[in-house]
Amino acid sequence: MKSINILLCFFLFSTISFGQGKFLTKQGYASFFSSSPAEDIEANNNQVLSIIDTSTGTIAISILMKSFMFEKSLMQEHFNENYVESDKYPKAIFKGQILDFKNIAGNEQVVSIVGDITIHGVTKKLETQGKINKTEGSITLAGDFPVKVADFGIKIPSVVVNNIAETIKVTFELDHKPYKK
Amino acid sequence: MTRKTRIIVIISMLIIALIGTFIYTAVYNKPHIDVSETAPNISIESSVLLDDFLNDETQANSKYLDQIIEISGAISEITTNKDGNGIITLSNENSIGSVICHLSPEENKKINSLKKEQKITIKGICTGYLMDVILVKCVLVY
Repeated sequence: MKSINILLCFFLFSTISFGQGKFLTKQGYASFFSSSPAEDIEANNNQVLSIIDTSTGTIAISILMKSFMFEKSLMQEHFNENYVESDKYPKAIFKGQILDFKNIAGNEQVVSIVGDITIHGVTKKLETQGKINKTEGSITLAGDFPVKVADFGIKIPSVVVNNIAETIKVTFELDHKPYKK
Repeated sequence: MTRKTRIIVIISMLIIALIGTFIYTAVYNKPHIDVSETAPNISIESSVLLDDFLNDETQANSKYLDQIIEISGAISEITTNKDGNGIITLSNENSIGSVICHLSPEENKKINSLKKEQKITIKGICTGYLMDVILVKCVLVY
C-alpha cells in the first residue's frame, strides 16, 4: 500500500512538473500591411500579449488596437476612430490551439494553428501556419495570415476605397519565455 | 468678359487650388504628437493607475486611453525589445500586474543610468490594459 502511495505521489509530481509550464510574452510583435494602387499602409505593434500552455498547446493572444503605430498620425486616427473603433473594441483576441504541440521538436518546424480570432467585436475561425522554435528556455512562433476587412464588419468609406486593400496581411512574431511567479 | 476679369478669375482659381493642395498635404502629413514637448493631461502614481484598471477596465479605458500620462513609481524591471528599445516596468512588491512603459528610441541611452527599485517619473501615451497597463512613446521626466 505504502509503495503504491509513493508511486502515486511520484507520478503526480512528474505530471505537475511537466504540466505546469506556461510560456508568455508581453512584448510580442504584430503588424499589418495593406497594399493598394494608391498607397501602402503599415502599422506595427510591439505590445502583444501571448500565453502558451505547454501541457495542452493552447495559445491565447491579446492585442491592444491603440498600440498599432502608423507612419502617419492621420492614418492612425482614422484606423482607431473610423475603422476598428478602438474606443468600443479596444482589443483583438485570438484563442486557439497549436496542433500536435507535444511532438514538436527541433528548429523552424512548421505547425498548424487553429482557433477563433475576434476583431472589432466579430469572431471568426482562423486556420493558419507558423514556424515554431521550441527549446527549454523559449518558444518562438512566427507567421502571417490574410484578414478580409469586410469579414469583421469594418466599413471602408468609398472615398478611400482605393487606398485600403480589401485583404490585409497580418504578420506576427512572438518570443515566449517561461512564466514565473 | 473682358480680358482683365478673365485674368483675375484664372489667377484666383490658381490661388484657391494652391491653398487647397497646401491644406491637403498639411493635414495628410500631420505629425505625430511629440510626447516630450507636450504637457501631460494626467499626473498619477503608477499604483493608482493600475488599481483603476483592475477595478473597472471600461471606465479606466474611457478615462486614460490616448491620454498623455505622467506616472511615478518604482522600477521593477528594465529590459529592451527586439528592436533594442527600452522597456521599463513599474510595480509594487504586493501588486498584481504592473505598468509597462515602452520608451521612445531617443530615450534608449538614458536607461543605462537607471537602477531597479529607483523612483522615477515617466511620461507616455496610454494604449490600454492586458495583464498590465501599457504606455507607449514614453520619455523620462524624473
